[in-house]
Amino acid sequence: MLKSYIKIAFRSILKNKLYAAINILGLTLGLVFYLFGGLLATYENSHDQFFENSARVYTIRGNINAESNIGVKQLDNVFSAVAPQIKSNLSEVDAVARTILREFLISVEENNYYEKVRFADPELLEIFDFDFLEGDSSAFAGSNGIIITETIANKYFGNKNPIGETLTLDHENDLTVMAVISDIPQNSHFNSQIVMSMPIGVLIPMVAMERITKFQPDTDWGNSSMGNLTYVMLPETLDREWLQDQMDGIYERFVPDTGRFTPKSFLTGFDVRVLSEANTAIWDVIGIPVISIVEGLGGIVLLIACVNYTNLATAQFMGRAREVGLRKTLGAGQMQLLLQFIIESLTITFFSMLLALVVLEILIPIFNSATGKIIFINYLYTLPWLVLTTVLVGVFSGAYPSYLITKTNPIEALRDVARKGRSAGLIRAVMIGIQFTFSVSILTIVLVVFAQNEKVEESSRIFPKDQIYILDRINVEQMEGRHEVLRNQILNIAYVEDFTLSSQVPYEQNNRSFQASTVLNDIASGISINQLNIDERFIEVYNIPLIAGRKITRKVAMDTHIRENGAVNVMVNELAAKQLGFASSEAAIGQFFYEDEGDKGITTYTIVGVMEDRNILGLFASVKPFVFFMRAASYRLASIKISSNAPISIVQEIEEAWQEVYWDYPMQGKFLDETFQMVYLIFDMGSKSLATFSFIALIIASFGLFGLAAFMAKQKTKEIGIRKVLGASNKQIIQLLIWQFLTPVLWATPLALGIGYFASQTYLNFFAERIGMPYGMLILAGLFGLILSCITVSVHAFRVSKINPIKVLSHE
Amino acid sequence: MINIQNLTKSYRTEEVETLALNNVSIEIKAGEFVAIMGPSGCGKSTLLNILGMLDTATLGHYSFKGEDVVGYSEAKLGVIRKQNIGFIFQNFNLIDELSVAENIELALLYHNIKSPERKNRVTAVMDKVGITHRAKHMPNQLSGGQQQRVAVARAVVGNQTMILADEPTGNLDTAHGQEVMRMLQKLNEEGTTIVMVTHSPTHAKYAKRTINLLDGQIITDDIINE
Repeated sequence: MLKSYIKIAFRSILKNKLYAAINILGLTLGLVFYLFGGLLATYENSHDQFFENSARVYTIRGNINAESNIGVKQLDNVFSAVAPQIKSNLSEVDAVARTILREFLISVEENNYYEKVRFADPELLEIFDFDFLEGDSSAFAGSNGIIITETIANKYFGNKNPIGETLTLDHENDLTVMAVISDIPQNSHFNSQIVMSMPIGVLIPMVAMERITKFQPDTDWGNSSMGNLTYVMLPETLDREWLQDQMDGIYERFVPDTGRFTPKSFLTGFDVRVLSEANTAIWDVIGIPVISIVEGLGGIVLLIACVNYTNLATAQFMGRAREVGLRKTLGAGQMQLLLQFIIESLTITFFSMLLALVVLEILIPIFNSATGKIIFINYLYTLPWLVLTTVLVGVFSGAYPSYLITKTNPIEALRDVARKGRSAGLIRAVMIGIQFTFSVSILTIVLVVFAQNEKVEESSRIFPKDQIYILDRINVEQMEGRHEVLRNQILNIAYVEDFTLSSQVPYEQNNRSFQASTVLNDIASGISINQLNIDERFIEVYNIPLIAGRKITRKVAMDTHIRENGAVNVMVNELAAKQLGFASSEAAIGQFFYEDEGDKGITTYTIVGVMEDRNILGLFASVKPFVFFMRAASYRLASIKISSNAPISIVQEIEEAWQEVYWDYPMQGKFLDETFQMVYLIFDMGSKSLATFSFIALIIASFGLFGLAAFMAKQKTKEIGIRKVLGASNKQIIQLLIWQFLTPVLWATPLALGIGYFASQTYLNFFAERIGMPYGMLILAGLFGLILSCITVSVHAFRVSKINPIKVLSHE
Repeated sequence: MINIQNLTKSYRTEEVETLALNNVSIEIKAGEFVAIMGPSGCGKSTLLNILGMLDTATLGHYSFKGEDVVGYSEAKLGVIRKQNIGFIFQNFNLIDELSVAENIELALLYHNIKSPERKNRVTAVMDKVGITHRAKHMPNQLSGGQQQRVAVARAVVGNQTMILADEPTGNLDTAHGQEVMRMLQKLNEEGTTIVMVTHSPTHAKYAKRTINLLDGQIITDDIINE
């Protein structure tokens, strides 16, 4: 019997090649995206599993106070002072270690490169069983020994044994290579490629950090940066809940609530996460569960494909009512008939799955090559999942049409009455409506996302980002004394218009801030104000108008911030002036506000100028209140404003000028646009991925519309014949078919647009600056859907309208 | 009303040419009731389709109401057809998604007749064929005889002057078949020209003239019941 069912299934497929092709293609596409989404999610969520202890390792994250208004909900790290508290108060843990990222110029003989290095506690080598090629974990016994990876070893030492060799940091600090480890595999959070790419290259003992950088990790409660993780390894008898409990206690007891940064007002608590979540932390930080969304989208695309199949199969199966009636007359039971049609559905799904796997085997290597990931299908491991998916999709898609057709009364079926009547028309209308709703909803979301991203990019153009060339890492002590020499060299280059120094440039997501208030004895209840160290050319380079007062200048002594003075003249932006309580920007001129720097005393800031608001952080952040002051030290960046008609060779000329001043430091330069693109990448990737999924979903739904239109036109041939006999012209026939097809589409349009609108609001809510109610997008999406539907049915209507009525109105 | 001269209809495939009609000439006057008979495959339905301008001849002339329609476009034939000719088929060919009244009204939709007048005409013709009590029913709720009555109503609601009926009683029992034949007879008495293809000698007797076809040619053309 099973053989018979499978034979019928094959013959049915061959008999209705168009519909079979549409069904198989639609299901294949759906399966490709569903499987790919699953594979990608599994890959991203299962990083670091090759480390022996990975199941026992956790990271400590910090939950951010929403009122701090820095635009993210969580950090993947905590203050570096937390780890010593864990170590001294939780004897049950097996190991605690921190890593802190810094960038240095590393020199080996004539080779100079900037490298990101990690300062690490020695316990890191207990937590992660790195593969030592040379040396061992005793490399961290002192404060001068470092561990490098084989890539770094090859880069600096070639074939030479690097053990015992010296690396110099910033031409100042000599460190000795004591061990070499294998490069960390790609599927590790250490190699996460999502924005904060920080592969391990050089490991330096944490005890050396204060000596090299002056930073005191054990007592710092004020600094936190993405990627500076705190790891805890537990014994097998303890779990995440236990550690979370302990960390809650440590937060309450040890995180200070006083001092300059009031850490407790910034971080509201700790969040313990398993190691496998470290790779995807960035998404948790910005509050968009990307991996879940990818999986969800894959599921939705598959669902659309299933609905597509159900729609078409329902229409097709109803045309086989006579066969069912005959089978029932010959003695078939309902269950047997159900099984027959389910097996047909499973056969189509099986072919679709095979095709999907072929497509994936072609696409995955291309994807891996483009992204550096190493996804692959482990058939042994995934076979149960593939089989289950095939069965579920086949049964789910085929269940309803199978049930419907097998309900048919045999006599009515033999008279082919079952598919007649208004109820069949209603089913068709509902099916068309569902297809259309899916397609247009997704299209609406895509259009809104693109429009919002366009707004983000457009808003960013307020700064001339393709005309500003940034020089990074000029805050090395040895370089600071020659900043003005560099300025003069650069300004001598043709097409260079201006030059400025600052601690931050637009689009960098740095939120250095402090509590400020106009009330001297109640500073804690003031506002959180962002700070930016600039020189006197900053507002000209970045085209920020001064709307009140004057700009700070080196000609006025009090305009230069010397911490010991306890007072300085500053500029603020409009928002800061408003939040500090001044009635207007003009009213703020000459007024004071204060900062409590703890044991360094109170600093008095006098406002001498107010600048127009600009969204310095840009992207999803809102405009922040800013204070701008001038402090000769700690300029990290130089911004060079270049004429719009400058030749490409200007970068070369800038590099030559740099070499004249800093011959012993390689230049790190890029256009401001690159800084923007690096952070915009997340949104760009997100919208492109969404668009890809949406495009596929639309294609599938279009297949469905096409198939349903073809089927409907075929079903209507008799009616069309009758109408032609009665005098209808071809034009009237086409109009009739289009109208009949579009009626459910028109009903579904408001629903589709409503769903699309509410779904896209979720994305829009993430941004401080958003597009307004996207009426235009909704209308465009609706119109596109209508036009697509019109074209789809017109193809069939045109063909069918030409039929000769006598060919269809024949004797029975 | 109808004058066909030396009409030939052939179907050609790669290997074979089939002559469905071979040099047929007929004249049918207005008000006649003509039955066309013959064995299966003799060309009866082909002849009817050409008379109804649903098909075109390969050779020959066809004059309808004095107008030579050979060479007319499909659109022009459609205009003549809807203004003059009503059709009744063996398998009724009602539209399943429309009610009885809507099926009948369909014939008027292509005549640019306004809605109130359409409704009036539909009501009148439903009365005439005795189907008013089923006006809102769907075709699959009617018996064969009732469906054919609806088809008759649809064929005459536009005041067509000629009815072409292709085996109108083929799917009906004796009683319903006679009922339909009486309706056709009554229509003919009121002046409608009727050309009917039938296998039934009994039903052919309702006609006043019988044409017998064999292998695409007229064998006999007899006037009956003068």
